[in-house]
Amino acid sequence: MLYFHDYSCISPQPTYGNPVLGQLLASQESKLFAREPAYSGIPPGILRRMGKAVRIAIGAALPLMKDPAMGIIIGTANGGMEDCIKFLDQIIEYQEGMLTPGNFVQSTTNAIAAQLGLISKNKGYNITHVHRGLSFENALLDAIMITRENPAGHYLVGGVDEISSYDYNIECLAGWYRSHGIGNEHLYQWEGTGSLAGEGASMFRVSASPAGARAQLTGIRIFQGEDLTRVEDELSGLLAEPGMNGQHIDLLLSGENGDARMLPFYNTVEKFMQRDTAIARFKHMTGEFATASAVAAWLACHLLEKQELPDHMLKKGLVGKEIENILVYNTFKGRQHSFMQFSKPLPAI
Amino acid sequence: METAELKQVLKKQIVEFLNLLSVKPEDIRDDEPLFGEGLGLDSIDSIELIVLLNREYGINIQDPKEGRKVLVDINTMVDYIEKHRTK
Repeated sequence: MLYFHDYSCISPQPTYGNPVLGQLLASQESKLFAREPAYSGIPPGILRRMGKAVRIAIGAALPLMKDPAMGIIIGTANGGMEDCIKFLDQIIEYQEGMLTPGNFVQSTTNAIAAQLGLISKNKGYNITHVHRGLSFENALLDAIMITRENPAGHYLVGGVDEISSYDYNIECLAGWYRSHGIGNEHLYQWEGTGSLAGEGASMFRVSASPAGARAQLTGIRIFQGEDLTRVEDELSGLLAEPGMNGQHIDLLLSGENGDARMLPFYNTVEKFMQRDTAIARFKHMTGEFATASAVAAWLACHLLEKQELPDHMLKKGLVGKEIENILVYNTFKGRQHSFMQFSKPLPAI
Repeated sequence: METAELKQVLKKQIVEFLNLLSVKPEDIRDDEPLFGEGLGLDSIDSIELIVLLNREYGINIQDPKEGRKVLVDINTMVDYIEKHRTK
């Protein structure tokens, strides 16, 4: 379906460069902030104008842009929201007078893909998908379609979002984030509502060719709705698809986020798994955000390749044999749902 | 405000406005070119500087030719501010 040749991630955990997942890094004041590297590949004159979402996305993507790509496909729910709000605040503060252009230029959602295109001098396909909690998945679907049209071409696909004070405050008021009271090491012991805020950027170099691939996406389904039976139906449908039927799922990577309202969805999926399917969680590492599933995709690629599953991720069971198939299930606010199955790539013929 | 003090304040404002991560206000020389060689600012920075003059000193620069003469270095900016500031 879609082959992953390279991948990179900047997240609240040491995932960038040489990933070390064994030791869980703690949240700060109910937030999991991305660990930013030194960004040696970004010219300082450009770096100083970038908002965090743009910085972490470009920082994660640059190592994958050394080889030519036919295009850039990014999924982001909010893009550079922090700079966007700075710009809007200026309009009020200075009574619609003179406004600085920097905040505006860098705060549009498509500034990430655009900056990547400029820095890497890539003039190919350049698209940004903004579908809230399914932004990354829509970017993947786009990549699947365009690589079918151009089987020889490689594309950069990614998902990114930042913690912005505006978004954080709104989501706290709406009850989606907890503003205090729990650290990420105890995220799943919480019995109330709300989760921890998080952020991150995950980038992938993909194509339709298995040659040299490190992982493959063997199935994907997305849907919107709040009905548990729909979750069952979509999962049944995915598992019955050609190429998926009968495959053993070694690991379920669950987007469980400590919010009691989301548990029925995750429990429904868990009940569908075979008895020996191990279950792991990742939101205590990343926090909750609209494109957290992109970090899950990075984790799936990493786990398939390195075969190391830290204890703090495991919810149930132990993977007794090699992990060959990983099913990622994630829901954003119980309304947007995605299933992605990642597998070890078949050897190229 | 004395000229020397105004220069220090302006340097600080430029570093903050333009988010010059690796530059300290005291590192900027009074006669160091703002654009090209020197501080290495670009066209977007020039708009930021015009906004800075408007917000902090009540100065409106509308003629690009005038702007080119003002935004040369700290000396030219301070000279213009002292003559035209309204706040």
